[in-house]
Amino acid sequence: MTTGTDLAARDTEDVLSPEAVARRRRVVRRASRSTLRRRRLVGNATRIVCYLALLVALVPLVALVSYTIERGVSGLSEAFFTQLPVPEGVPGGGVKEAIIGTLIIVGLAAVVAIPLGLAVSLFLIDRRGKLAASIRFVADVMSGVPSIAIGIFAYALIVVPSQHYSGISGSFALAVLMLPIIVRADEVAMRTVPEDLWDAALALGAPPSRVARSVVVRTALPGLVTGNLLAVARAAGETAPLLFTALGSVLFTTNPFQPMDAMPLRIKLDGTQADPHLQTVAWATALVLLASILVLSIVARLFASYATRHAR
Amino acid sequence: MTDGRPGGPPEGSKVDAAPEAGSHGQVGRLTGREGRRPHGRLYAAVRWGGVLVFVAIVVALVVSLLWQAAPAFRHSGFSFIFSGTWNPDAGQFGAGVFIVDTLITTGVGLLIAIPVGIATAAALSEFLPRRIGGPLSTCIDLIAAVPSIIVGLWGLLVLIPIFQRDVEPFLQKIPLLKHLFGGGDLGSGILLASVVLAVMMLPTMVALTRTALQGVSVADREAAMALGGTRWQVVRRAVIPGARSGIEAAITLSMGRALGEAIAVSLVIGGGVTFPHSLLANGTTLGSAIVSYFDEATGVQRSAVIGLAVVLLAFTTVTNIGGQILVRRRGGGYQGALSDPGVGLADTEVVPA
Repeated sequence: MTTGTDLAARDTEDVLSPEAVARRRRVVRRASRSTLRRRRLVGNATRIVCYLALLVALVPLVALVSYTIERGVSGLSEAFFTQLPVPEGVPGGGVKEAIIGTLIIVGLAAVVAIPLGLAVSLFLIDRRGKLAASIRFVADVMSGVPSIAIGIFAYALIVVPSQHYSGISGSFALAVLMLPIIVRADEVAMRTVPEDLWDAALALGAPPSRVARSVVVRTALPGLVTGNLLAVARAAGETAPLLFTALGSVLFTTNPFQPMDAMPLRIKLDGTQADPHLQTVAWATALVLLASILVLSIVARLFASYATRHAR
Repeated sequence: MTDGRPGGPPEGSKVDAAPEAGSHGQVGRLTGREGRRPHGRLYAAVRWGGVLVFVAIVVALVVSLLWQAAPAFRHSGFSFIFSGTWNPDAGQFGAGVFIVDTLITTGVGLLIAIPVGIATAAALSEFLPRRIGGPLSTCIDLIAAVPSIIVGLWGLLVLIPIFQRDVEPFLQKIPLLKHLFGGGDLGSGILLASVVLAVMMLPTMVALTRTALQGVSVADREAAMALGGTRWQVVRRAVIPGARSGIEAAITLSMGRALGEAIAVSLVIGGGVTFPHSLLANGTTLGSAIVSYFDEATGVQRSAVIGLAVVLLAFTTVTNIGGQILVRRRGGGYQGALSDPGVGLADTEVVPA
């Protein structure tokens, strides 16, 4: 401010004299050089700090994944996939019942939650009233409900009345967990369908149900697949909803009305034992679970990139 | 509704899709006469049926938890929340210690995860060349899918020995701060639980923050550059303020997750039932208390454990509603941030940028 008024004061004398011009230039250059130097210094320092933060974030994440792979691979064998758990101290054994159990529990949950989620999102897709807004809000808040609370809900609603722990109650818990995620993801996916397509189909005289089925759902299909796969992947890794519902078991069963084992439950049970062999089994199970979830996520991403490529 | 119709190619409808406003020009275009024809009636039934089931599930969730917890609330009254004594044998159910431990672990976890997460997101989206930042971002997004039980197992079998041998003795040597880290060299405890929570929060935090940073318009960045800002000044003065509501949403979402995490925490926190005197002390959070106490509990005690779930549900619901309000409040002249609350808060990136 002061230099500004100084310069203005000199303006009234002889603005254009060579010394005055040179003096002004020097002032400006010195000022800009010193702030630029300082700003560059600060900028580079923060950039280094950000890179360090990246390193701090990556180290544990990479360590976690690579340790799981390293410990898990040593426990994998044919028996791991085809045999049942053995008691502590006995070598060998596998987790066949947990792998099949996870497939059944998650599969049943998906079979219920995916169509139900689609129905709700079809309800939301072309509505803007208070009802739709509040259902969206509830879905968003529901997707943050702790999974352990959902587990207790399933326990209270199914296990207590039936007086029996069961795989199906675990499926119910996972379906409740998935539902809000699927509702919102489906709606977002279906919003990418261009309006012209709706209009064209309606103008052809197609009834709303036909428009929804043949135009909206079909056009949004890759996006729908992405959202649903990610929801399934999320549910497959959950332990807390299964603790008080599917319970876990060392017996092989395909009957969803019996207590059932699942991979997360097996990891928790074996991983907390002191026996190194059981810990190896836990890591191998963790590796199989992690690999399945990563495959689901990667496939989901491929569908998503397909969807964005074809939306243009 | 002049802005409802995308001007040109369909991509407009994707970018502007804001669920509460709706990108579709007419309301109810699929509802018109759906009730009049048989298949229309079926379709209406499917949609209304879906909504009714969904609402019924939500209501049942809240009602059944409250119902099951009611005996314990009647038994203990307000001391259920304010008392720090959890002694089932004496019929005392006070969740005070669990609440305090939950808040401490979440708070310390956030203290680690927020700065690291935001700086990492800035490095990935603003500083690193896209060639490196892109694949790294994808990796971090994928790691976000790692189940909590695996993080917990890693904490239990890998981090506890490291904390016991190296980290805790080191922390106890730091002048001034060492009073925070008094007591046991157990490995397990509140600090480790916080670190495990931070590791679990980081990928989600980074992914959401990165989305928010990338959502800031090029015009805002160029304006800051045109004023002579360095790269960092552009980030500090234009990008981060522009992405503020998105970053806040990322923080609240992570916070909700950390509050509700049960399994991983129960494996590493050790299970103390007194108010913590140091960050290295063993503790019990609401979630880990449910995991540890549910099985052997019967009668009023079981009801009290379910009461813990009600308290937990209240905490996370308040947090999540706060997050929703943050996302929906788009004032301040800055647009951008999470372009779509559904994508962000549902934790599913349906249409990646």
